[in-house]
Amino acid sequence: MLLAAPFAAPLAYLVVRTADEGETWSIVSDAALLGPLGRSLLLGTTVAAAAAAVGTLAAWLVMRTDLPGRRVARLLLPLPLVLPSFIGAFALIAAFARGGLVERLLSPVADGARLPEVGGFAGAFTVLTLLTYPYVYLPVAARLRQLPASMEESARLLGRGPLGTFATVVLPQARTAIAGGGLLVFLYTIADFGAVQLLRYDTLTRAIYANRLIDPAVAAALSLALGLLAIVVVVGQRRVAGRLGVDVRRGGRPLTVQLGRWRAAGLGFVGGLLTLSLVAPLAVLGYWAIRGAAEGSSRPTSLVADPGLLVEPAVNTSVASAVAAGVAVAAVLPVAFLTVRHRGRLGGAADALITGGFALPGIVIALALAFWTLNSPGAFGGLYQTLPLLVGAYAIHFGALALGPSRVAVASVPRRLDDAARTLGRGRLARLLSIDLPLMTPGLAAAAGLVLLSAMKELPVTLLLAPAGFPTLATRVWSAAEDAFWADASIAALLLVAVSGVLTWLLVVRRGEAFS
Amino acid sequence: MRRALVASVLAVVIAVTGLGAAGCGGGGDDALTVYSGRTESLVAPVIERFTQETGVEVDVRYGDTNDLALLVGTEGADSPADVYWGQSPGATAYLAGKDLLAPLPEATLSKVAPGFEDRDGRWVGVSGRARVLVYNRDQVAEAELPDSVMDLTAPEWRGKVGLAPSNGSFQDFVTAMRHLEGEQVAERWLRGMAANDARTYANNNAIVEAVGRGEIPVGLVNHYYNHRFLAEDPGLPSRNHQFADGDIGNLVIPSSVSVLAASDRQEDAARFVDFLLSEESQRYFADETFEYPLVKGVPPAEGVPAFSTLRPPAGERADELGDIEATGRMIAASGLN
Repeated sequence: MLLAAPFAAPLAYLVVRTADEGETWSIVSDAALLGPLGRSLLLGTTVAAAAAAVGTLAAWLVMRTDLPGRRVARLLLPLPLVLPSFIGAFALIAAFARGGLVERLLSPVADGARLPEVGGFAGAFTVLTLLTYPYVYLPVAARLRQLPASMEESARLLGRGPLGTFATVVLPQARTAIAGGGLLVFLYTIADFGAVQLLRYDTLTRAIYANRLIDPAVAAALSLALGLLAIVVVVGQRRVAGRLGVDVRRGGRPLTVQLGRWRAAGLGFVGGLLTLSLVAPLAVLGYWAIRGAAEGSSRPTSLVADPGLLVEPAVNTSVASAVAAGVAVAAVLPVAFLTVRHRGRLGGAADALITGGFALPGIVIALALAFWTLNSPGAFGGLYQTLPLLVGAYAIHFGALALGPSRVAVASVPRRLDDAARTLGRGRLARLLSIDLPLMTPGLAAAAGLVLLSAMKELPVTLLLAPAGFPTLATRVWSAAEDAFWADASIAALLLVAVSGVLTWLLVVRRGEAFS
Repeated sequence: MRRALVASVLAVVIAVTGLGAAGCGGGGDDALTVYSGRTESLVAPVIERFTQETGVEVDVRYGDTNDLALLVGTEGADSPADVYWGQSPGATAYLAGKDLLAPLPEATLSKVAPGFEDRDGRWVGVSGRARVLVYNRDQVAEAELPDSVMDLTAPEWRGKVGLAPSNGSFQDFVTAMRHLEGEQVAERWLRGMAANDARTYANNNAIVEAVGRGEIPVGLVNHYYNHRFLAEDPGLPSRNHQFADGDIGNLVIPSSVSVLAASDRQEDAARFVDFLLSEESQRYFADETFEYPLVKGVPPAEGVPAFSTLRPPAGERADELGDIEATGRMIAASGLN
């Protein structure tokens, strides 16, 4: 519980703020809240369902079938996660909205053809699904890597096709991973601000943002409502998931399903998904970057004129997010042990707190940590606006991402191995290092990867809590986009994707492969 | 593999403790700390010049104007910030209302044109941002454009106007309308815009981009956004339009700088403020950000209409733009979102 205490900081802050102001109940019970709340719920559940379907299918295709190009796809599929949602939304608008790039490209062949309007629910749903499916893809891929092939082989022998095998054998075995990933998508979606703001879908986060300075008491009360909603959903989901249990069977060499006549369809699906979620935004960014480079710039801070300005942000981004990934995994691992091996109320409460932190907007996390550090005496107060606090804030905000994969990782260690080592006189630490950790590596790598990719693009927390003069790629993208320097914003965003690709390969793909 | 794992765990531990040590050593106690709602790409060169000329090191925290105001509000007397430099008088007024700002000397305040300083001396304007109607010249002829921002509630503009209700400058504009034209006029205009199907966008950028693409013919924004879009893509059909002389739609809003009352570096902070009002810095804002210099004698950038041609409403004082809470309620009640 001590480990989970920092994760309670943002919610505790909101309770303090809300209690200070009074009159809160009238705000929260206001009918004006119901609309945004309903829209947040609708968007969260639909995006979670869509991302679960897309992410699971993609994971199965690249992990278990003979799909051509699956090795490359494995590296590329997690990457949309690193695109800040406001960049994804802006690129979508620039490309597909009326008069946008696609219409202009099409005008010679289809003059006067107009694309449907981009925005509202459909726009937010599309952008968020395309950017968040990796939350499902990564844990499901990790799970599929460990599944025994025997059941799929039996299914195949009984004459089932690839889709039949997928539906009757793979899906049930991966359902814990799917449910866990879907929950993360739900929480991400209800906390997202960038996409809903640009695409004009009026959710709870937009109400929080609009009120944050005009009426901070209302903003705090609405944030608290968002946090409580997240906890209710987490607890509810845990009850259902608890019955499902964690499937830990593993072993054997994974089976490769021959797609046969489904090959083209599978290729079309993965190719289409990558085109929409990664290639299209990157193409828009590339277009802006090339246009800006051709135009040139005399601005002293221009990245077109001096790409060397990106070295420091790239290093800062990599270091802060990689350390945060390690810290987050280390922080949630004990909770994962507690919930998987002991199944107590304590573990469940810690679980809910950690997960709730993911549903709060970054600005709330940042202000809460500012409040608590500044109101603490001594060494802790001295941490304000230093790198350790920034890393801690990332870990608190994104710890939930590490929890699901860590839990699967813990469950994948057979108890009898541990017992055997104990009989042989190995100590607790030795058992952890020699047995548990090596077996858990693929799961922990997936956990770290999720935190890493999210921390790399995090904006409000970075802007408010990083040491002064600590630029990251995300802050560079934001700063340039604020000023409409699209070439600069694009160059920094492209580098963000490139760096995340390298780190994903090093930490997630390579680690995972070594154990398959 | 086992060894690699142990090594990586150790690496994380070392990194964290190393960072801790670095964190304690850093922080720059000698430096002047500026919280800047102006973005780094625009103002970093000015701040560098300040350090070169005065020898005073500056740590800058760049961020969103409103978020930084909230952060200073949360920090209170413990704030590491010495200077707060925001984009909107509304956000600065939030800090003034919490008694967090120190008064500036009269000599500093009198450098800028009257109306662009706080009468209680808690902030001074640095650069001016004119409200304009950006329009797509392929879709609307200049002659058809309205003389007053009030005309946009007329039927011929139904569904054709872009607004950014959550944007600070739009809110400052509504606050000014409440003061100069009266609460009822402002309320009627907002409701009229909502009823006229005004399209709402996230920010000024999104509006100018939508006008450039031809999604909407006109939008209410600050003047410099279109200059920046045109600098990136000169082929765009978007242009700025000014309303008739003295129209509230021509409001000029200053970005403003203030010194925090809790700062123990009042002298350096005051030097920083004066540096921003120097001719050198004012010229930089004109040429690089396309904003209006507020100190007399410095012309705006080429292609930007002269300050004297702006025709802002008479009697407008930026220090009356503080009442953002009532403005926010009025906007929310109007149905715009």
